Amino acid sequence: MKAKTLSPEKDKKNINHIPMDASEKVAEIIAYVVLVLLALMAILPCLHVISKGISNGTAVAAGSVIFWPVGFQVEAINYVFTRTAFFTSLKNTLIITVVGTAIAMFTTVTTAYPLSRSDFKGRRFVTLLYVISMVFFGGIVPAYMVVKTIGILDTYWACILPFAIVQFNMFIVKNYFEGLPTEVEESASIDGANDIRTLWSIILPMSVPVLATVALLYAINYWNNYFHVMMYTSSASMKTLQLYLYDIINNSAAITESLYSTSFEGTNYAQNITTEGLNAAAVSMSLVPIIAAYPFVQRYMISGITVGSVKG
Amino acid sequence: MQVKKKAASAVPIRARKGAIHRFFVYFARHPLLYLMLIPGLFFLCVYKFWPLYGIQMAFRKYSLFAGNNPMDSIAKSQWVGWKNFNKLFNSSQFSLVVSNTLIINGMKILFLFPLPIICAILLNEIRRATVRKTLQTAIYVPYFFSWVMIFGIFYSLLGSYGPLNSAIVALGGERVRFFTDTKWFRWLLVFSEGWREIGYNTVIYMAAIAGVDQVLYEAAKVDGAGKWKQIWHVTLPGILPTIVLMLILKVGYILDTGFEQVLIFYNPTVYSVGDIIQTYVYRLGMGKMDYSQSTALGLFNSVVAFVLIVGANTVSRKTLHRSIW
Repeated sequence: MKAKTLSPEKDKKNINHIPMDASEKVAEIIAYVVLVLLALMAILPCLHVISKGISNGTAVAAGSVIFWPVGFQVEAINYVFTRTAFFTSLKNTLIITVVGTAIAMFTTVTTAYPLSRSDFKGRRFVTLLYVISMVFFGGIVPAYMVVKTIGILDTYWACILPFAIVQFNMFIVKNYFEGLPTEVEESASIDGANDIRTLWSIILPMSVPVLATVALLYAINYWNNYFHVMMYTSSASMKTLQLYLYDIINNSAAITESLYSTSFEGTNYAQNITTEGLNAAAVSMSLVPIIAAYPFVQRYMISGITVGSVKG
Repeated sequence: MQVKKKAASAVPIRARKGAIHRFFVYFARHPLLYLMLIPGLFFLCVYKFWPLYGIQMAFRKYSLFAGNNPMDSIAKSQWVGWKNFNKLFNSSQFSLVVSNTLIINGMKILFLFPLPIICAILLNEIRRATVRKTLQTAIYVPYFFSWVMIFGIFYSLLGSYGPLNSAIVALGGERVRFFTDTKWFRWLLVFSEGWREIGYNTVIYMAAIAGVDQVLYEAAKVDGAGKWKQIWHVTLPGILPTIVLMLILKVGYILDTGFEQVLIFYNPTVYSVGDIIQTYVYRLGMGKMDYSQSTALGLFNSVVAFVLIVGANTVSRKTLHRSIW
């Protein structure tokens, strides 16, 4: 470390007509190398599955597909779309995500606003309740028994309501509200606006970035939820994208085996659909919605990460 | 003296009365604020606090049909005291899952914790903002993926006929069964966790670096410090509180992390190295229907995790004056 830190300084003394420090250049080169490698590591695996999903069956079976398609076919994707429960599970996931995020945002905002007001009486007590619920956890079985008792097992509600308020997200919104200037609120109350009006027409318009961020956090939570959906639902028609995908990955060998023995509607699926190719097609079709949404939402994600970690 | 004492005892009573009075005055003026709390408190009570009542299953011999509904059955099941815990602590599975949990999450901290710090420091050295943003955007793409999707991707890459194994065979090696080989399974967990989380954590440290006072860098430059010295003496001390906070959090949550990942990645052949407390809780409860045993193990986990998290928060508050909540 020391030897490394000394030599660039010597360089600097020798060639001090160069405005940029040599050590800065070295640091930047190392930064480029390491980070480009990391970025490739993040992206190439995605490219790999997508390529595999559309590559020629023989190439897939031979293991020659790496990061670029070899040959081309859409039979595997076609099979995923038409012969598996892809769209049913996508529909379930969409319903749970949209309805869940809407309910969660409503609950989060209505809870965060009173708790963010410094004059609110009972604020400490209610905040304490939320903190307690963050550190004490009843456990998997008691949570299951509650859902079973309420009678919402195997419905969309079981995948939505237990997560309708995430304490951490509520605290992010509360912290943001606390940072807003109070004068606006005071002038609104002088003007005779009630608390709901104040929240709706003054606080919320000022909080669009944090609301977008938290909505995104909720949406990702609902979209990616695997475990709870698996536990709280049982019928095939309730499967979400994550459950569907898990099933495909674990059963693709059996599926392709049955394909080899039968052919549908005169088409020889078996020629181009391999176990690996079918997996890859299903995985890449689940990647597509996320990659499509990514450019639009990633800005909010960054602020979500930093808000959550810095203010906690 | 006596007057003072009287006054001291009188004040709290009057203050308390005043507080209750003030509460009602406030409540009358802002009833809508209390109305707003209802939806959140409703979900909190039903889905967070009601399960806490169910914890007593750990001390009972739970029978699902003892009452009118599953929650009612709890109070009507036979009380057995610590029997479930004795059985649990004496089973060989218990020590296995506890040590697996600690080893897997310990490995993750040991090997993955420093990486995002290094990445953030390096990323900060890239001067062109567009390049920096592009790279940053690329490295945290995986954070958006669910564990099932990551499982699918890794299965495709590292499966017996995936490109990695093809490369190993081409180089004269033998196919490695990453998903079923007990020697490799933990590394698979560490690596896939790293793949998903490094970018995300890098963003956290980037935010911390952005908060370091630029004047310090100017001062260091005036003193003749090169880039490496600036990183060592300005950047690192500047983000040290964030580093310590993140480490404390990671250690505090050591029993609570990795559940969904392991649940999706593991299979019976790697239970000996991959089965962790929470996956075992799940299999005991939902697989074997041994609800009481499962709740007992879950409670053990919660109590230890609670102590760790509160301890971690105390350390964080004392040393960094920052609280997790």
